[in-house]
Amino acid sequence: MTTILPECDIPIPQRQPHIVCHDPENIVLPMCNVQTVPGDMTERGCTFAGCRGVVGGPVKDAIQLVHGPIGCAYYTWGTRRNLSDTKLHRKYCFSTDLTEESVIYGGAKKLLNSIIESHELFPEGKAVFVYSTCVVGLIGDDTEAICKQAQEKIGIPVIPFHCEGFRGVSQSLGHHIANRTLFEKVVGTAEPEETTPYDMCIVGEFNIDGDAWIVKPLFERMGVRVLSVFTGNASYNDIPPMHRAKLNIVQCQRSSTYIAKMIQEKYGVPYINVSLFGMAQTADALRDVGKFFHLEENAEKVIAEELAKYQPMIDHYRKRLDGKKCFIYQGAPRAWHWMGPMRELGIETILTATTFGHKDDYEKIMERAKPGHICIDNPNALEIEEYLVKLKPDFFIGGLKEKYLTYKLGIPFINGHSYEEGPYAGFEGFVNFAKDIDVAVNSPVWKFINHPLEVK
Amino acid sequence: MAVMNQSSEPIKTVRKTRSVTINPPKMCQPMGAILAYMGVHGCVPLVHGSQGCSTYPRYNIARHFRESAEVAVSSLAEDAAVYGGAKNLTEAIKNIKSRLNPAAIGICTTCMSETIGDDVKLIAKKALTDDTMKIFPASTPSYVGTHLTGYDNALRTLVETLAVKGEPNNKINIITGIINPGDIREIKNMLRLMNVQSIFLSDISETLDTPILPGGHKPVLPDGGTSLADIADSANSLGTIAICRTAGSAATYLKNKFNVPSVPDPAPIGVINTDRFVQNICKLSGASIPDEIIKERGRLIDSMVDVHHYMYGKKVAIFGDPDLVSAIVRFCAEAGMNPTVAMTATKHKDFAPDIKAVNSEYKTDTQILEGTDLYEFHEVVKTHGAELILGNSKGTDIADDEGVPLVRFGFPVYDRVGVYRYSIMGYNGSIYLLDLMTNAILGHKYDPNKLHQ
Repeated sequence: MTTILPECDIPIPQRQPHIVCHDPENIVLPMCNVQTVPGDMTERGCTFAGCRGVVGGPVKDAIQLVHGPIGCAYYTWGTRRNLSDTKLHRKYCFSTDLTEESVIYGGAKKLLNSIIESHELFPEGKAVFVYSTCVVGLIGDDTEAICKQAQEKIGIPVIPFHCEGFRGVSQSLGHHIANRTLFEKVVGTAEPEETTPYDMCIVGEFNIDGDAWIVKPLFERMGVRVLSVFTGNASYNDIPPMHRAKLNIVQCQRSSTYIAKMIQEKYGVPYINVSLFGMAQTADALRDVGKFFHLEENAEKVIAEELAKYQPMIDHYRKRLDGKKCFIYQGAPRAWHWMGPMRELGIETILTATTFGHKDDYEKIMERAKPGHICIDNPNALEIEEYLVKLKPDFFIGGLKEKYLTYKLGIPFINGHSYEEGPYAGFEGFVNFAKDIDVAVNSPVWKFINHPLEVK
Repeated sequence: MAVMNQSSEPIKTVRKTRSVTINPPKMCQPMGAILAYMGVHGCVPLVHGSQGCSTYPRYNIARHFRESAEVAVSSLAEDAAVYGGAKNLTEAIKNIKSRLNPAAIGICTTCMSETIGDDVKLIAKKALTDDTMKIFPASTPSYVGTHLTGYDNALRTLVETLAVKGEPNNKINIITGIINPGDIREIKNMLRLMNVQSIFLSDISETLDTPILPGGHKPVLPDGGTSLADIADSANSLGTIAICRTAGSAATYLKNKFNVPSVPDPAPIGVINTDRFVQNICKLSGASIPDEIIKERGRLIDSMVDVHHYMYGKKVAIFGDPDLVSAIVRFCAEAGMNPTVAMTATKHKDFAPDIKAVNSEYKTDTQILEGTDLYEFHEVVKTHGAELILGNSKGTDIADDEGVPLVRFGFPVYDRVGVYRYSIMGYNGSIYLLDLMTNAILGHKYDPNKLHQ
């Protein structure tokens, strides 16, 4: 029996198949990608979040227009730390702000007007992305037709995303919808000004806290031309020519493998999976790309330069962190992306969890896990607390919603979704990551937790 | 020099004429409803809708209060769009009950559950046969109102569900609205000084500002919050004062149903508004004004006198929730400042009259923006001028673009720490707010040679 039912789940035994203790002799994957148990205090979000927040949102010069009542637009306004060198996408929040009248009579006219007005007020917007929320799907606005009509009128692409929040079981479907929409409506609609034999796209890299600004130059220094980053710090105009890449590399393999596969199937562009976190994995990624383009020597040169510069710092942090144990709870891929890099710091990951992982994510976790490692699919607040108390990790890498619960328990925490003082990707980013872990674990603030006030 | 309104033109109330909303400083109803429920002891908020409808509000609460905010969701999906959400809601209620055994569950509906037409009251009743656990079925679709109407609806639902006539309790009901734990503590402090007993509807001062205690532990249902018994007893109070009138429909209900006098008045910020608050407490309770309150008031006036050379005529533009904005406009005018723009996204009948009254008393010319967005606020700030902006964290870019400081108040504030801990209400809180404003002015390109004496 390798599945576990924690105490807090005794009243909801349907959670048991989602929680697994790793046994290499009898590998069982957690049940995943199914509906949440209603009322279980899940940490999951919705399909709209995956589409608007994760994949579409980083496109820096698209007007990101949310078609629906105000909440969904407000909550995705500048929240994810998907940085760019212009401010349009994070500074401004566009919404049709639907009210009861639109719910009864439809929101079509308001949407059309909103698209036209947004374009007039922000002519620097290269395209308009229109995201549908729950109520739009229910009242049945024909957003395809409205967007088509608007596009004819304003002369820039208007792209509808059918990402109503109630679709699917988690954010994950939203990623897929964003990928499919951008592939079907945008990729291949324009040709690059020039092509070279070394054109590559970095797919599933959202420039969280500047990750893309670290990893893109690594490949450029090897002699690779990065045609597009999908979608971190991307201009709308970076997406149409993606089909002319010679190779795609995929960093976030949950949210973005879809488009790499679609480009491969339609245009014959191969893709490879990479982990651009940690010293060894980043070096492997550079080597794989070097091999593909026959730039092996260049790759080795860049790796040697980076290691000379940053490995001593990693060695320094390893001395301070060796022997620590951690939990990693992320959307999905970063849970397994970071298990190897933690070992480079002498840290063992004793529990992983993902919000919306699929089978392939859990396979990757198990490939990296030691016996006894606990793995949880779609954990809820009570399960997280129970395991934090039971296993007492030295620190926990999670998201903002889990941060303060963890603090109250006296356990150090690192925000792995938006980072503390990132970026965390690449060689240089891994030094930031190690530093943040060091700050979290070795801060004197924790010593007061078990230091009660007593009359002596 | 303050701009005097010497023309006879009436002050315009501007409302946006665009279809598109750009940078709205307002959230949806479930956000406010969750905050109301979080001020009730042992109450688990349950969002009946898609998972984003709980996750997004949680995220905002976490980043403002720097606290965990546990909210359940019925996780509606495609099948609910076809068959209704009764199955999910029933299961959610049962699961919360069996795992947490809370005193109550506070339900907020969403766009989804309202559009598909779930009868939440009926479903909840069926789910809970023979059970003592209370359920509050607030109707809070996102396509109606804002976070403030959501708060109001949830709070009224609490009172409607629980309030019951009994013996007079000699207490005053205080409806807080969406204000900070620091504000609630300051108001409690004033009531303590006046020796007046109270029931807070509701009270997030402990639930969303929790300590780390020895050993490190936080229960899922935190200490603090108003007890269900106290909410029930609100029918027997001397009267109800709504700090935020946008949250006042529970006061109206208590008045109509139980003859509990309702006192809708401005939020206690600044001299006159705080005076009115103190006077209202005295009138309802028969209490007299203690010396300590007189001294606090004196310290506020002292603080205003101390800084009037710095602040006179300083142009200030303010945005946020209507009760807080209109009270701050009055306070700024009292301090000799020049409130140029007052903006709120949530329309409320008292907002424009409050500000027009200030304009007429202080000969100011505050532009009133109601039911609009921050894009319009910024345009009006450009034409009317501001040397200081007051608002929540969503004002950061406007303040940066205009090259002026932003003093943060309201919800959410996530780019500065501790704002929720401090009060801007009562005499003490007003001193703090004035000092914040003055130090913002002095710390921003002010000639240091003028600050030595």
